[in-house]
Amino acid sequence: MNLKKHLKLPKINVDRRDALVAVLAAAAVISIAFCGWTLFVDYTETSRVAEFSRHVAASEADLFLLSGDISSHMRSRPGRPSIAECDAWMRELGALADYGRGLTSYHRQIIAADVVPEAYTGAQSAYTRALDNLNRAFSLWSSAAGAYDTKAYSAANNNLAGADRAWKDYITAISDYDRELRRAEEGGEG
Amino acid sequence: MEWKDIIPVLAGGLVILVVALVVKPALLAEPVTGPGPTKPVYVPPTPVPAATPFPEDGPAYTRNFRWTAIDGGVHTTEVRVPEALFSKHRETPRFDLLAWGRYALAEEDRPILKDLACRIAPPTGNPEAEYFRLMNVIFFVQQIPYACDDSTDSYTEGVLPRYALHRGAEAEYPRYPTEMLVDGRGDCEDSAILMAGLLDALGYDTVLLKYPGHMVLGIQMDEFNPYYAKYTPKYFDYGGKRYYHVEGTDFAWVNVSPGSTARLGKPLPIGDTGSTTGTPEIIPLRYIPAPAEYRIRPARLPAGGA
Repeated sequence: MNLKKHLKLPKINVDRRDALVAVLAAAAVISIAFCGWTLFVDYTETSRVAEFSRHVAASEADLFLLSGDISSHMRSRPGRPSIAECDAWMRELGALADYGRGLTSYHRQIIAADVVPEAYTGAQSAYTRALDNLNRAFSLWSSAAGAYDTKAYSAANNNLAGADRAWKDYITAISDYDRELRRAEEGGEG
Repeated sequence: MEWKDIIPVLAGGLVILVVALVVKPALLAEPVTGPGPTKPVYVPPTPVPAATPFPEDGPAYTRNFRWTAIDGGVHTTEVRVPEALFSKHRETPRFDLLAWGRYALAEEDRPILKDLACRIAPPTGNPEAEYFRLMNVIFFVQQIPYACDDSTDSYTEGVLPRYALHRGAEAEYPRYPTEMLVDGRGDCEDSAILMAGLLDALGYDTVLLKYPGHMVLGIQMDEFNPYYAKYTPKYFDYGGKRYYHVEGTDFAWVNVSPGSTARLGKPLPIGDTGSTTGTPEIIPLRYIPAPAEYRIRPARLPAGGA
């Protein structure tokens, strides 16, 4: 069967000039699309890092204020307190712990929900881990204050020992975050 | 203009709307719906109202004490403890060992202890007399009769208190100072607690020293090494301070003569451990458990951020 007889293909008369124009037009469209896509991806990554940075900054600002309150509370330990003053000091520590626990949980949720470029996932993960450890430390402070309130001082001591360990884990996680962040930024520059 | 000219325009607008409202937020992970987490606020602790003082004119236990002071003189005094205060202490569950300083420093006992301490050791303007004041308080407590916690004779009511702690066949019941004053007797920890309460009311820095099976007081002194002591005063360092061992119960009684009920006592001075050996656990009266780690480290922000 001869297809040419049955199929009537349209005749296309293309001269060289038209072909060249078509090729150049196609190349221009592809170039524009490529540049546009690159710009879009770059914009997206930059804005995602900026968003992550804003969230870390908000977390750090809140933690800075909390840190000031905690340090000031630690310095306020009276030298020869009455039992009522000891109790008031521990209740204040418990209140700060509850606030710290809520604050770290809040920022952890926000930062963990950030969609960051792949290079920043290590930093994001380390920072959320730091907040988790801080959250655990504050939870144990809160438990210690509760145990103290029931005069279970040994249990309060055990909780605080656990909190100190969680705090050390937090410091390690913050160092990891710093290292991961430097790696991400140096990788980006390179 | 016809419909076929308007439809592409409308379709284009629709595409732009879809891109702006759905595609872009999805690509940039912007939340489209749903509330985010709520930021917590600091809630200060609720202040605890001050305890209502016990009425002066209410029913009270009256107890008389007779003791020999350091100068050999015999003294007597009367102590009045409101019944409501005594009942309150009896109905309070006993604490963890580390919290036993709370008994000595109980706010409700404070006025009674302060008054009693000033009667046992009247204030003096002579600094050299301070040692005699201190020893008079120690002697007073050492001469209160000893009684085991698991003996019903040890308690005014003649029965073991509800919150006595049972350890095997033995009972343990650390008393508030005013409980010991009303019962008129107590064991080693009760004496150490009463002595701590009285001395704290006079401004001395004390701790409880818990040996296996025994408890004594530790009194903070910079240096105590009297020339007349025929022993090496025992002390323990805690929190950068030196606390000397003080017995609360081992008053060495001897009968004046065979068959006589009259007795003479020889008190144990500061630093004399008698038959007590070992290293004690030190229990401060004012105990505030605090974390060692509490400094939040600042974290660097990602470059190109806000």
